[in-house]
Amino acid sequence: MSSHRPNLQLKKHALTAISYMLPLVVAAGLLIAIGNLSGGSVITDYSASYNWADAMVSLGVLGMGLLPPVISAGIAFSIADRPGIAPGLMMGLIAHSIGAGFLGGMLGGYLVGYLVLWMKNNVKVPRWAEGLMPMMIIPLVSTLIVGTLMYFVVGIPIVWATNALTDFLTGLQGAGSFLFGMIMGGMAAFDFGGPVNKVASLFADGMLLEGVKEPEAVKILASMVPPFGVGISWALSHWFRKPIYSFQERDNIKIALPMGVCMITEGVIPIAAVDIVRVVFACTTGAAIGGGFSMLWGIGSPVPSGGLFIVPTMTNPLMFMSALAIGSVITGILLFLTKKRLSPEDLQNQASINAEDEAEVDVSSIKFS
Amino acid sequence: MNIVGVAACTSGIAHTYIAREKILTAAQALGWTAHIETQGTIGTENELTAEQISQSDFVLLAVDIKIGGTERFSGKKVVEIDTNTAIKSPTKVLQAIAANLNK
Repeated sequence: MSSHRPNLQLKKHALTAISYMLPLVVAAGLLIAIGNLSGGSVITDYSASYNWADAMVSLGVLGMGLLPPVISAGIAFSIADRPGIAPGLMMGLIAHSIGAGFLGGMLGGYLVGYLVLWMKNNVKVPRWAEGLMPMMIIPLVSTLIVGTLMYFVVGIPIVWATNALTDFLTGLQGAGSFLFGMIMGGMAAFDFGGPVNKVASLFADGMLLEGVKEPEAVKILASMVPPFGVGISWALSHWFRKPIYSFQERDNIKIALPMGVCMITEGVIPIAAVDIVRVVFACTTGAAIGGGFSMLWGIGSPVPSGGLFIVPTMTNPLMFMSALAIGSVITGILLFLTKKRLSPEDLQNQASINAEDEAEVDVSSIKFS
Repeated sequence: MNIVGVAACTSGIAHTYIAREKILTAAQALGWTAHIETQGTIGTENELTAEQISQSDFVLLAVDIKIGGTERFSGKKVVEIDTNTAIKSPTKVLQAIAANLNK
């Protein structure tokens, strides 16, 4: 459907690919974790004997290896529809093989996707050859061209960038890693699952593919700090008799907490929407400090999402819970201190929601077609 | 007004369904009829019928990703927003669209 739009919608294509990737990465990550916890290791020689735990680890590793092809195919599919899938899968395999990983897969997907789309719209063949277009001409020509590019041109800087990034992150120590954790955590919590969060999230997922698990732990922590922090501030307001939430907001918090346990930050949006500056400030600060400690203590997560349920698979579950508690308590205290005391009338008045309470929309950004 | 729409987000487990609820609630408050299909990670739910689509005044897509079945909406007025906008300001979005249609 995007074929006739002038704007490229790069982000939409990436998000589409991520939506196909998520179940795969969760299953693969958990399989590796389960296999590792049962004492398994990757099977390198299938002719030798192996046990169930080894098989689970290996399956997980195979699944992780599928990520660049799925990312690439997802992007190419989003751009060019069905004909993008086969070339996209192949470009992702190249990325995986040459060590260009996640970034290489994304780039391959974009390149081959746009080439396929261009061919679909511009290459005209005689009627008798129309069947050959989707079956042979498009897949062959697009993979031949972009495949050559991937192997010999664009893959090289990506491999270099991936290695440099991996080395940088694994080499971080002390204050450097704390600072990195703060940036990651702050970004991941900043907009409650919005575009800034997605950038941090994409980065963490990409690093996981390279075997660097620490950013993923920070991301998980930062996704849970806002709901838990809001919950703590509500408890504080109750204990110290300083009402800061309306009845409507209390109901929202009761929904946000269980969502937070599952690592869904979005439950905080209704709380943030009515008091955006204070809530964003408190959540970002708490998540940044919690993230800093998580990085400093070297906590890694082999799984990109799943909330509290996957904490046992982390490299150091107790320390993770400590970092999460530190971040959430900071957010809670900041909210409690900065939010205004509500008068009894305010408590009632805000209970009704209407159009005036909604955030302003830039109507010009709405596309009509 | 009579609207149909599709909601779909990246993770396909939260935003998709929140957006659907918000649009339905906002439409109801305006006295409109609304049918919203969700295309989550679990697959398509509350699938729109051909009748619902043909009777609608416009199609509201609250989507962050590429969705399936857009050919069903050919010839319709289609408005595309992201799920965040639908969640934050459903009523304003609906009012803005209605104002634009009446121009």
